[in-house]
Amino acid sequence: MKHWILAILTLCVTTGCTHPFGNVYDNTPAGNMEALWSIIDEKYCFLDEKDVDWEALKQPYIDSAKLLAPGDKLALFDLMERMINRLEDGHVNLYTSFDRSQCVSWYKGYPENYDERLINELYINNSRYAGGMYYQRIADDAIGYIYCGSFEIGASSANMYYILTAFRDCKGIVLDVRNNGGGSLEYAYTLASTFFDHDTTIGYWQHKTGKRHSDFSELKPIKIKKDDMPSKWLRPVIVLQNRHTYSAANSFVNAMRYGRNVLLLGGMSGGGGGMPLSYELPNGWLIRFSSIRMYDADHKSIEGGIAPHVYETLRSTDKDDLIEHAVQLINKAYE
Amino acid sequence: MKRLRDILILTIIAMNLSAIEHEDILNLRYGGVWLQDQYLSPLLYTGMQVGIGNEWWQVYSKHPGWAHVGRVDANFGWTHNAPKSNVIYALGLQGGWGSYYAWVFALAGNERTPKHSIELQLGPYLEADYMGRLIAGYINKPYSMDMSIQVEAMAGMSYAFSAKKTSYRLRYLVRTNMIGVDFVPDYWQSYYELQENGINGTVRCAGLWNHRYLNHELTFDMQFPHSTWRVGIRHEYLEYGKGDLWFSREQVSAVVGTCFRYRVDGKRNLLTER
Repeated sequence: MKHWILAILTLCVTTGCTHPFGNVYDNTPAGNMEALWSIIDEKYCFLDEKDVDWEALKQPYIDSAKLLAPGDKLALFDLMERMINRLEDGHVNLYTSFDRSQCVSWYKGYPENYDERLINELYINNSRYAGGMYYQRIADDAIGYIYCGSFEIGASSANMYYILTAFRDCKGIVLDVRNNGGGSLEYAYTLASTFFDHDTTIGYWQHKTGKRHSDFSELKPIKIKKDDMPSKWLRPVIVLQNRHTYSAANSFVNAMRYGRNVLLLGGMSGGGGGMPLSYELPNGWLIRFSSIRMYDADHKSIEGGIAPHVYETLRSTDKDDLIEHAVQLINKAYE
Repeated sequence: MKRLRDILILTIIAMNLSAIEHEDILNLRYGGVWLQDQYLSPLLYTGMQVGIGNEWWQVYSKHPGWAHVGRVDANFGWTHNAPKSNVIYALGLQGGWGSYYAWVFALAGNERTPKHSIELQLGPYLEADYMGRLIAGYINKPYSMDMSIQVEAMAGMSYAFSAKKTSYRLRYLVRTNMIGVDFVPDYWQSYYELQENGINGTVRCAGLWNHRYLNHELTFDMQFPHSTWRVGIRHEYLEYGKGDLWFSREQVSAVVGTCFRYRVDGKRNLLTER
């Protein structure tokens, strides 16, 4: 009988052990604010690149949070949004069950350079759709036009086979990634592989290795592998971009710079050259932030965006000036 | 053809020989799970889990005091944080093998057929442990995992008794790690980086100073006319860490199991012996 009692007692005692690793920060407005500040301070990858004194923001925001009522979630959210928007980074967002913070300053002041109505009515009015892309022959069937609005969907080799077969006797392709807010980097690089006939280093990335703003790993090369996409297009390609060409689409534009017969046209791309990761605050809100820095092949950061080879803006209301300019340039290449 | 027949006969004989002392206990588990994974979140995640497992043992024919035991367990858990704003799904797989010596003390009856007896067990155990965790709602770093191979110390105590032509056994079994290797990523290391660079620097020597594991269970076996059933409770606790990064995992499960033998050898429906 003693053995029974001993066994049951042992089980009860060990089962009742408390967890030694509780939350580091209190689940109060000030605790959550401090947790948010620390996550960015320790994990965000652009603090030494951006013109913001992050240390100076800490105490004022924590003090402001202390003045909030414990249940005033909306006020805390707004306060946190103000703090993280100082980073001017579209990849830094706070997610809650009632709202998601957004930073708009990174594209404000740039021309829109995009009119969805014009594209729908004039350039993809009789299109097919494959691999997340609309495609149609334009300019008297001499040019292939592809609109890729997102990299949330990936193009397979079968998709690209049919698209390139449809364009087989075209002079070139206009590949439009305006207003493409990104998605999967893998999908972006796989699509870019269509335009590469050999493995090419198109940039580097660098991981955070410590808490300090300058703690980073060695640069690791990013390569476009020609075998990722068996179907190839090595005739002229013009990539259209605008300020809303962001994140994975920005990385796609960067990769395409190193492709054969590729020209970038439009405005400055949006940037978003930091691969985002997520973490949680003590109150369960989720913070997304840039964590892995990306560079081009010349070791320059692509966080601020990529300049086109040819600048062009949308001025007309009855035609898309960027597409028309791209068609002219391709035709000119054959004169 | 003759060789094939010989192999077949030898295989059947070997299977039957081992089956005489080979016993399997299939168990199903249901219970609670507590996860603390600072790689994924600073928050404690709690929830439920289901599991299935198999335990087998076999006495060494030349050394009846010694037996070896093996276990395979799988479980799936679903947990959420206190604000219920996110979910972690966990898939655990464990497998191990060990050997132990048993001391049997007959309290009533005789040594061959004791009516009441106490048995003490002690021996080493080698265990491979894996738990993969997926957190919903995260971007680009949605998963984490525990991975280790540990040499453990295993000890047990059981009390067997008979009443009204039915046999029962109460057993308490505990295992704790001694030394081994485990996988711990750095706080800053993304799995992208691990995929690129391999696991260099993330696998280390693990012992009680940085990796603590406890697995113990209390079971009660009951011999019915045509079957033997087990009920019990199992508790597992794991904690390990490196630098700022700490993980802990606690699981408590109710266990229901049934025992069967590969070969009925004239002692039909015997109580599980170990």
